[in-house]
Amino acid sequence: MRTSPRVRAGQYVLLAGFLLFLGFPVLWIVSASFKSSAELNSLSASLIPNEWVFTNFTEALERQNLLRSAANSFLVAVCTMVLGVVLTLPMSYALARLRGKLRAAGTVWILATQVFPQILIIIPLFLVLRTVMLNDTLFGLILVYVTFTLPFTLWMMQGYVAAIPRELEDAGAMDGANRFRVLLHIVFPLLRPGLMATAMFTFVSAWNEFFLALVLLQSPELYTLPITLRSFLGAEGQTQLGPLAAGAVLATIPSVIVFGFLQKKLTGGMLAGAVKG
Amino acid sequence: MKKNHGIVALALLSAGTLALAGCQQGSASGGGEDGDGGDGAVTLQFQSLSDQPGAQAAVSAAVDSWNADNPDVQVEILQAGWDGAYDKLITQFTGGTAPDIIHFDAASIVPFASDGYLADLSDGLSDEVLADVPEGIWDSVTVNDQIIAYPSTMQSYMVFANADLLAAAGVEVPTGDSMTWDQLREIAQATTTADVYGLGWGLGSPAATVMTLAQGFGGDFFSGSGDDVQIEVGPNELEVPERIHQMAYEDASLDPVSLTQSGSDVLASFYGGTVAMTVQGSFQAANMAGDAPEDLNWVTLPPLAGSEGALQAANPQTYSVNIDSAHVEEATAFLNYFASGETIGAIAQADALIPASTSAREIVATETGGENGWDQILASADGLVGAPFLHADAYAAWKDTVLNPALQQYLGDQITADQLAQQLTEGWG
Repeated sequence: MRTSPRVRAGQYVLLAGFLLFLGFPVLWIVSASFKSSAELNSLSASLIPNEWVFTNFTEALERQNLLRSAANSFLVAVCTMVLGVVLTLPMSYALARLRGKLRAAGTVWILATQVFPQILIIIPLFLVLRTVMLNDTLFGLILVYVTFTLPFTLWMMQGYVAAIPRELEDAGAMDGANRFRVLLHIVFPLLRPGLMATAMFTFVSAWNEFFLALVLLQSPELYTLPITLRSFLGAEGQTQLGPLAAGAVLATIPSVIVFGFLQKKLTGGMLAGAVKG
Repeated sequence: MKKNHGIVALALLSAGTLALAGCQQGSASGGGEDGDGGDGAVTLQFQSLSDQPGAQAAVSAAVDSWNADNPDVQVEILQAGWDGAYDKLITQFTGGTAPDIIHFDAASIVPFASDGYLADLSDGLSDEVLADVPEGIWDSVTVNDQIIAYPSTMQSYMVFANADLLAAAGVEVPTGDSMTWDQLREIAQATTTADVYGLGWGLGSPAATVMTLAQGFGGDFFSGSGDDVQIEVGPNELEVPERIHQMAYEDASLDPVSLTQSGSDVLASFYGGTVAMTVQGSFQAANMAGDAPEDLNWVTLPPLAGSEGALQAANPQTYSVNIDSAHVEEATAFLNYFASGETIGAIAQADALIPASTSAREIVATETGGENGWDQILASADGLVGAPFLHADAYAAWKDTVLNPALQQYLGDQITADQLAQQLTEGWG
């Protein structure tokens, strides 16, 4: 049944409206990053700056060591992503496929970890990290991020694993492949969309996280981007909106690049899975 | 084979980045630890929250100068931010990694003093430093008769006016040492037209403003200190919110929308000429000097005076010493050095805040020439006094969970003044 031109036009209008709704904050922050402080405090707000100002970017880059913080954030986010994926893959398979008490315990653990607010455990966490001399280190922060993202990624990946028919694995086994080969050549390729989703989730979570980094890192040379960007918020609620917007725009770029790269793989994986399934 | 290359690359990337991350050990070791360098020199960690470039430069200059003069006691700045500072500090103290010297503000640092985390500076600060700051401001950083911080800079609430709109309404710009609330109301009424509200007041989070200005009417709210604090919400405490409510809903001379906004949001209306006056933190004078349209003829009006005078609660920024620091004496000596009029004056000008010390205030007065509202802003400092709420341990929680929501409801005309008083009283303890 063909969609009528009117319905199709309506769909496009709705889609455009939705895109505008999603994209407007991004456009506004980009616009703000090129505006002067006076224009940002003007009643007549416009998306296109009256006068293009680039000093917000130089101020953001020079004043707050934004590049060093970006490098720290990138390092932490990539490590969290890699470690998260490496751990999630076998664990989620075990949780989805293996029957027994371990699975039940694992499921309870996943749910239990989600109900504790961060603020409740931050001091014990800090003390534990200090005991093992990992406070004020990026490595300690990475371990914490992996720990905090693991329950959700396991929960998510379990669903992907469960969706793969067991018959595929049985067929591989009947052809003489051992379990490792079955996993490597049959299961893991089909899990690529899930892995990409896991990678994106862990990367973005680590890239954006503020509170744990604030508390666990003390040395300014280790600060991640969210901490550095928050330094544009001063005492008495003063906000240096121009440099903050410029910093936010710059901070978004690596995240968007990684997201774009992984998104291609996500789509590709879904297609591959569809053919093989 | 191609897939294997991918796996190997992923593994190498993982190993490489983890190794790199593992190498990144920070330098902060915590004031509770020894802090002795290998060469015998003491290293003090100084956690600074200064966010303006000028203030950071002034802090760095003072530290560099100290380090040059004192090779045996070196100070290292740990730059941190205001956002989340309380959570960071409570974790640092609990974990024993708090720095030696801590920058914060009085209302936030006093609970740490009550819990015994801060050193008593009463005997360590020099007579010169003690005499340089008015008694009322020392009160705000005195806990159990101990001075627990050096107060550096603070803000007052000032009325900024569009002189042209006042002139158009036939109102003379008030002069003198202070301006009464009745005068403010009259000017707001006189300048209100179909297109202009007499007053715009960003009270989206009204607690700090109300508690600060309540001092002008003797609105103490609390008596006692620490855990043993009683609340009383009577006519004096309700005077400020009632007067604001009156202007918004009886006179219609105060823009009710502005009551839901932040102070910075209302500046746009002030710049655009849709409000004739606005009450702002004094630090906004610096922003106005830079951001206001060239044709806006803005002036700073005299400090607001209630029945008790032009009094406001002083909540100064503070510098404290960690009681667990291995070098409390050296850290206090550094504070004596840091408290110079030149350093505090430079920080005050960069942050557009009022210096707590007389010497720094004189320097700022000379260097600014009283321009851009500095004359009135510095004059308002005479009315800044310690307030009981600074010494109530549970104030921070009560402010967020009871005071702000109740005031928002009252200023939104949702509850009466009696209901406001009831909520504030029952919400305490």
